[in-house]
Amino acid sequence: MSQWLTQVIAQAQQVSDYLAPVRQQALLQLQQAGWPGRRNESWRFTPLTALDKREANNSVVTGEEAAPVIDDLNSLDIVFANGQLVTDISSINLPEGITISDLSTPSENAQQNVISLFGSVKPARHVFGLVNDVVAQQGIVIDVAADAVIEPVIRIVNKVTADVDSHIRVLVRVGENARARVLEHGEGAVSSMTTAFAEYDIGKNAHLEHYRFAFYTEKAKQVGGSHFKLGESSSLNSAVVGYGSELSRLDIDIWHAGEHASAKMNAIYLLAEGELFDLHTNIEHAVPNGTTEENARGIIGDGARAIFNGRIHIHRDAQKTLAELNNRNLLLSRRALIHTKPELEIYADDVKCAHGATVAEIAENELYYLVTRGISRSKALVMLNFGFIQELVNQIPDQAISQWLLPKLSERFSHMEVK
Amino acid sequence: MLKINNLHASVEDKAIIKGLNLEVKPGEVHAIMGPNGAGKSTLGYVLSGREGYEVTSGEVMFNDKPLFELEVEERAREGLFLAFQYPVEIPGVSNMEFMKEAVNAMREQRGLDILTAAEFLKKAKEACKQVQLPLDFLKRGVNEGFSGGEKKRNEIMQMILLEPSLCILDESDSGLDIDALQVVADGVNSQRDGERSFIVITHYQRLLDFIKPDFVHILAGGEIVKSGDASLALEVEKGGYAFLGKKYEEAEA
Repeated sequence: MSQWLTQVIAQAQQVSDYLAPVRQQALLQLQQAGWPGRRNESWRFTPLTALDKREANNSVVTGEEAAPVIDDLNSLDIVFANGQLVTDISSINLPEGITISDLSTPSENAQQNVISLFGSVKPARHVFGLVNDVVAQQGIVIDVAADAVIEPVIRIVNKVTADVDSHIRVLVRVGENARARVLEHGEGAVSSMTTAFAEYDIGKNAHLEHYRFAFYTEKAKQVGGSHFKLGESSSLNSAVVGYGSELSRLDIDIWHAGEHASAKMNAIYLLAEGELFDLHTNIEHAVPNGTTEENARGIIGDGARAIFNGRIHIHRDAQKTLAELNNRNLLLSRRALIHTKPELEIYADDVKCAHGATVAEIAENELYYLVTRGISRSKALVMLNFGFIQELVNQIPDQAISQWLLPKLSERFSHMEVK
Repeated sequence: MLKINNLHASVEDKAIIKGLNLEVKPGEVHAIMGPNGAGKSTLGYVLSGREGYEVTSGEVMFNDKPLFELEVEERAREGLFLAFQYPVEIPGVSNMEFMKEAVNAMREQRGLDILTAAEFLKKAKEACKQVQLPLDFLKRGVNEGFSGGEKKRNEIMQMILLEPSLCILDESDSGLDIDALQVVADGVNSQRDGERSFIVITHYQRLLDFIKPDFVHILAGGEIVKSGDASLALEVEKGGYAFLGKKYEEAEA
């Protein structure tokens, strides 16, 4: 077991709050789970060497260093700086139909709800998810009332500027017939370690628009996940963007718990030189008549390494499921690497499912077409690479978010050498 | 403007163009006709600089510069434009973004100011109107989901925006109904200004009803075997390529 995990477990034993019963259970699982190595299938290609010599550091950073993200996205922001909640939630002018509370101090009435939601959507097998279970004290609980339509995008920001550990937890309940939009936005480039896990319980006939942008780069280390439970006839539209860094791993789990639910998920990952990014997705169709559409696209720079593992699991009773998974990758050089593994596991006999993956370089005929119009080869390569991901950005239903995202991706792309 | 001297070119070691000579002066329209496999499209690709099309001997001067010393994009910026027979679809890159980049690359070459997004949009809207393409085509991916006719009109729209000095139209009439053919021809004719030159590669006479050529050349077996005025195209229409004799009929097969 790594030194870091040993120290985290020691910290966990000191945590005592209203979540103690659920934390205790997670701690037992964590102690049994052990440190994932190469023999663990879900960590096979993602070495945790970046954590080997790390000391767990839960110190609190305050002052200028913890300056929050300020940009022009018109959103309702809840900000964590280096893992510490800095916004006084009560000062946020909330629209009717939504309550947002601090995980550490929910009202007595809300406590029972939080306890019932905590860990109920997230799969229990994830070591870092268990770490988060036992030590996350900073977090947000969002409750969208039945029938409510929440207009502003609720953005949960975690900005990392110091070499500390952050453990953030997000719990969201979207009531029956309600509609809401949530953006999980993490960023940082310095040496740090973040675990950020979010659980969404989407009620009957409700709709959630979800975004997860993991803009961690360079020395930052982050492991996190967004996990969804879909109620009957509910719908989820999710867009995930991940950058590579020293260690970057995201898990997205979607659990079709009610019939006639639909899920769409688009993912983009952009890795610059020498970086690592691992995206694991798992879709569980436990009941009939669900639909899933998943598209993941990655551009992998020189000497960078990406891992995509997309699993769709159709249970025996999940008849009439429609599910599609597609992963496409562009390698920018001969030294770029992708391990891609689309998986379909089907136990029902009346379903329509497809999955596939491609790994390629830019098509020569497309490049030729652009340069015959006078565009330089280097610019044409950038346009083609960017076009490859822009197709997914264009599918983001909220134009304000896609327009906000594009220059960020463009800036990121300018750091990736196209050869 | 363009002088091709004893050009030989091959694709995957197979000789396709075998000693082609042609001179195009400013303002002239040359039609190149010929049976399948004669090397018509190959000529367009060789002149534009497509990878895999190897020039084995000969010389081409374009605006008094040796063409083969220029990269593909340099040839384009020098004023050479190829309208493709089968334009490629590029999802994710919008027509608008693509053409703005191309137009500004040309303007930079010519020492003109770069167009702002608004200035470009104005020009692009006019060009769209001219080739009867709805404005939303500007927002769509390059050629993405376009019909055959729309792709050809899109090529002509690009030609109008880029203002080249030599336009090579590679079978721009293939797959077009009569209305679309008229639109394509009108687009071309609107760009004839006594300076701009055209090489119209075509299989059929019908496009030449709308775009009157100054010269017609028959390309067969990789060389120009006959040249004449517009009446030569009518002869071909009437009697096919039988007059070429057995040697070239085999080339067609």
